[in-house]
Amino acid sequence: MTLDWNVVWQHRGQLAAGTGTTVLLTIATMAIAVPCGMVVAALRLYAWAPVRAAATAYVELFRNLPLILVVFWAFYVLPIWTGLGLSPLATGLAALALNVTAYNAETFRAGLNSIRRGQVEAAMALGMSRAQALRRVIIPQALRRVLPVLASTWVSLFKDTSLVSVIAVSELAYVAMQVRAQTFRVLEMLTAMAAIYWLLGYPQAKLADWIQRRYAVSE
Amino acid sequence: MDFSVITDHWQFLASGVLVTLALSVASGASSIAAGFVVALARMHGPRWLRPVLVLYIDSMRAIPVLVVLVWTFFALPIVAGITMAPFFAALIGLTVHLAAYAAEIFRAGIESVRPGQTRAALALGMSRAEILRRIVLPQAVVRMLPAFGSFLSVTIKDTAIASVIAVPELMRQSETVQGQTFQPIEVYTFAMLLYFLLLFPVTRGVDLVYRRVAHLGRS
Amino acid sequence: MTSATVERAKGAGAKIIRYRGVIKRFGSFTALNGVDLDVHAGEVVCLIGPSGSGKSTLLRCTNGLETIEGGDIEFEGALLPKDDRALRAVRTRMGMVFQSFELFPHLTAQQNVAEGPRTVQKVGQAEADRRASAMLAKVGLADKAPNFPSALSGGQQQRVAIARALAMEPDVMLFDEPTSALDPETIGEVLNVMKALAEEGMTMVVVTHEMTFARRVGDWVAVFDAGRIVEQGPPAQIFEAPTTERTRDFLSHLGWSG
Repeated sequence: MTLDWNVVWQHRGQLAAGTGTTVLLTIATMAIAVPCGMVVAALRLYAWAPVRAAATAYVELFRNLPLILVVFWAFYVLPIWTGLGLSPLATGLAALALNVTAYNAETFRAGLNSIRRGQVEAAMALGMSRAQALRRVIIPQALRRVLPVLASTWVSLFKDTSLVSVIAVSELAYVAMQVRAQTFRVLEMLTAMAAIYWLLGYPQAKLADWIQRRYAVSE
Repeated sequence: MDFSVITDHWQFLASGVLVTLALSVASGASSIAAGFVVALARMHGPRWLRPVLVLYIDSMRAIPVLVVLVWTFFALPIVAGITMAPFFAALIGLTVHLAAYAAEIFRAGIESVRPGQTRAALALGMSRAEILRRIVLPQAVVRMLPAFGSFLSVTIKDTAIASVIAVPELMRQSETVQGQTFQPIEVYTFAMLLYFLLLFPVTRGVDLVYRRVAHLGRS
Repeated sequence: MTSATVERAKGAGAKIIRYRGVIKRFGSFTALNGVDLDVHAGEVVCLIGPSGSGKSTLLRCTNGLETIEGGDIEFEGALLPKDDRALRAVRTRMGMVFQSFELFPHLTAQQNVAEGPRTVQKVGQAEADRRASAMLAKVGLADKAPNFPSALSGGQQQRVAIARALAMEPDVMLFDEPTSALDPETIGEVLNVMKALAEEGMTMVVVTHEMTFARRVGDWVAVFDAGRIVEQGPPAQIFEAPTTERTRDFLSHLGWSG
């Protein structure tokens, strides 16, 4: 068995581009899934019954499906439903966003619910409206509790972007496996792929830990 | 939409469900066992082992399941000079990845039992092993139930990724059927239904059990 | 029922709050079973009685945190409104202090006290800050203005909570067991603030277990039991010469010896 690690260096441009797509997908997904998650959480808590039920159904559905299946399903169904010819990248982004929005909605809902009832009562006793109490008292506190969980979701999302490789989106996993197929350098490319994910993911995981320690709320 | 494709191929898909179940149970059990050993070794093992285990746990937070599975199936045989069946490779890969998660659940659960409990048991003259076995672990197990509910859910979802290394579980079987019949919407929608029916009761079931026994874990 | 000849020290003032036959149920449990009580301007009315007798519930019905199933509550001559906007306006004229303080943990003491005037009464930042500083000084915590609640003791937090309610310039202050969650050493500082407030002529309704406070500072005491007022009268009567068995029982259980 002869190993040729040079192959990794030779294809560094492609690997870098793939990494860039991975990062882009992560950022774009969160950019969509955070505000959407807030909306869904608000709908679940405060909207009228049919809307609440629909929002809950959405959250429960996407929390109980494998993401890889959602990716495939989106690839075949979305073009038909929307009538648009979506690129694999857009499809992958849509699948990721649908999935992470559901998790974020649950995170935000739990965060909002974790604020003590007494806080709401104190706000109302001052004469605040529900909206004012939300804005000035509940949300600022909920944000603190939600941040560590969002950080953890981000770390998971970064790994999950690898799943859109199955619909040929040129993120890191796809690119690495393409190079493997072209060069037959299986061990080198797969190890390099793991190493790059490790190099990027490890610091992010540690950062999430730090956020967890810094913002942990003890009641 | 023509769902006759489902009835035509139901046995093929059913075999996929069986493999999904088998892989879930096997990798779930082995990763919980391995995770327990890792957690214990980390808390009570030799000092030099601790940073090694922490590195392992944190690395699994950084590297996607897909990457671990692909490396185990394609690269490990090259390094170890063996051949591996897809199911076995998936079992090893999933165990390695999930054991880290399980280890963290064990650690958090055990640490969450109040130190006062240990002190009280020491005052009664119990040995450390007895304390762990009779006082701390029983309480910790109750506290860990919700986290292990999520763990089970993640395990089942991760088996779907094993489709990438040709394990004939449900996801893979669905891909095969839709590849032959060109009816991806019906096939994948059916697969979604099956996964949901499998996953939803798991999380809800754990919730119910937890609510019944939660008082046993409060100190 | 109190004797018609019992004097009511401050009974000449306007009736700020009138409770007439107030009924409140939680599902099948009746928390208030026909409560009649008047609160006059400048009076300190203390509600005492065993836990679960309805005292706190009555207070929470007063500012609409709970809705009543029967009877009337009048505030300054008008029934408590059902309309949300009108109810909020009424709440700004009542100050409430909670057993668990409920300061907003993400705001400093100064910001906590200024929050009501700023957000609800919309007086502008400068005026809100002026009131906040004044009220914090009034409760003796001017130097703690930039501190967050987590840096304050229980007694200090409760005093800030009182300042927060006072900053709204209310016509009546409602205290829901204000010292029940405090360490014995800090109870005194809160009771002193309340005493000073009473001496200034603030109308107060106080749910409390501090019998000495009720005896010395209260103008009128109502004894609750199982959702009704079993006896009400001046503190001298309630504590020295109670007319009902229930009251005597309650006081003796507390070890009250006058």
